[in-house]
Amino acid sequence: MTETSIGASSAVVAAPPATSRPAAFSGSFVPRLLTGLVILLSWEIVVRAVAPPYVAKPSTVVLAIPRVMTDPEFLRALGATLAAVTEGLAITIVAGTAIGLLMGRSAIVDRMIRVYINGFNALPMIIVLPLFSLWFGYSGAARIGTIIFAAIFAITMNVADGARSVPREFLEVARSFRSGRWRMLTDIVLPASMPYLLAGFRLAAGRALIGAVVAEFFLSIGGLGYYILYNSRAYHHNEAFVGVLLLAAFGVSFELLVNWCTRHFMPWYRRGA
Amino acid sequence: MTIGAIRRNAPLWISIGAGVALWEIAGRLTSAAFMVPFSETLVRLWQLITRGEFLVQLFDSAELFLTGFVLALIVGAPLGMLLARVRLLRIGIEPYIMTLYATPMVALIPFILSLMGFGFAPKVLVVFLFAVFPVLYNTVEGARSIKPEMIEVAKSYRSTEWSLWREVMLPYTLPYMMTGVRQAIGRALVGMIAAEFFLSSTGLGQLIMGASQDFDTAGVFASILVIGLIGVGLTRLGLMIEQHFAHWRQ
Repeated sequence: MTETSIGASSAVVAAPPATSRPAAFSGSFVPRLLTGLVILLSWEIVVRAVAPPYVAKPSTVVLAIPRVMTDPEFLRALGATLAAVTEGLAITIVAGTAIGLLMGRSAIVDRMIRVYINGFNALPMIIVLPLFSLWFGYSGAARIGTIIFAAIFAITMNVADGARSVPREFLEVARSFRSGRWRMLTDIVLPASMPYLLAGFRLAAGRALIGAVVAEFFLSIGGLGYYILYNSRAYHHNEAFVGVLLLAAFGVSFELLVNWCTRHFMPWYRRGA
Repeated sequence: MTIGAIRRNAPLWISIGAGVALWEIAGRLTSAAFMVPFSETLVRLWQLITRGEFLVQLFDSAELFLTGFVLALIVGAPLGMLLARVRLLRIGIEPYIMTLYATPMVALIPFILSLMGFGFAPKVLVVFLFAVFPVLYNTVEGARSIKPEMIEVAKSYRSTEWSLWREVMLPYTLPYMMTGVRQAIGRALVGMIAAEFFLSSTGLGQLIMGASQDFDTAGVFASILVIGLIGVGLTRLGLMIEQHFAHWRQ
């Protein structure tokens, strides 16, 4: 409950600087650029001064970017992770939304499974890795399982909150026009829960990414996480760090994508208004 | 407990009872390598507790969790407040905090391992990194909610810097900071387990990994059960802290 309200409100609060782009550029671009330069410069200086030469620093990471990006091994790893995350998220969205809608619209279902959804959601997700490696072996199936487990509860909880908060009048009007239960679910409850679904998706996507990386660490199966692990063990920190940069880029772009979708497809959605 | 409280909580207990029964039945029907019944899990848990190693591991994990978490608070909260006060600094740093908040910190573990080795410090660093950005991110978000006029009014009444922080900044940012604390509790728990899995293996992470390597499914389930209960308890605590301050939010 609080999860959504916080998540959604932060989406709204986070929106203004992105919407007022001209102002953002004139007012805050210079300090942002300067801060970025200061961060990079101090990183470079500190590493050059105290750390061994293999440690990643901005100048060498930048040089590694073209090399890594054209490395077929890296592209294969990237493809494997992205495919797993996409597959896991697709399953998660369908299953998570279905369970969430059921929970939101049926008090009995809600009472039966809420305690488990909350409980699993509170579980540090990577704890299932040893169990999944027993169940599925050291395979891609264990990775997909981890991704789904990491992501699904965020979606379910948010969709359930969304389905519960559909304005009563909408449903009453639909009922007085003799709409069936199924149509009400697909035409009213589902669209009305979309902002919640998106807020849940933002959380879920980040967690899915973490789940995939951790699973690759743990299971030693090919992917971006394993690429990072392997290269950092081989003292190729620069190459490994390009992988981290890419992960960060994914994390941020999920965030931006969801904010953008909420603004453009759901302009009617105003929280707290 | 009054009759009313019992009746209110009845669905919860029925649901928990049904879950346990389902677990028991599923455990009995499937092979022992796949899943063990609830009763056997409890027996195994009792063995672990009485043998004493469990409490040692629990203590180890708690030490790691608390050290990393407290450090994250000590650094994150004042830094967030400072960013709240110095607008230019906030504008400059904000996008980077947002980026790091969205970055999967687990990806840094291999670097930490190869730079800092297997001691206690690198593990604390992992927990710290997991926990600090939610605190910072949310505190800065709270800082955005302070109207500049508030500070101007305080200033024009010749408020000292100290009372400005205490009377204006703190009440405004605290509810947001507490949202960060709640998120940080969950993340620090993940960081703790990740550190125990991938850096030197200790604590509850070692308990569950060891059980999995010995194909001791009962041990795996027992550890997951305990960590799950700890997770639920800490999440509850986080929610309580957050809600306690929530009514300050405007």
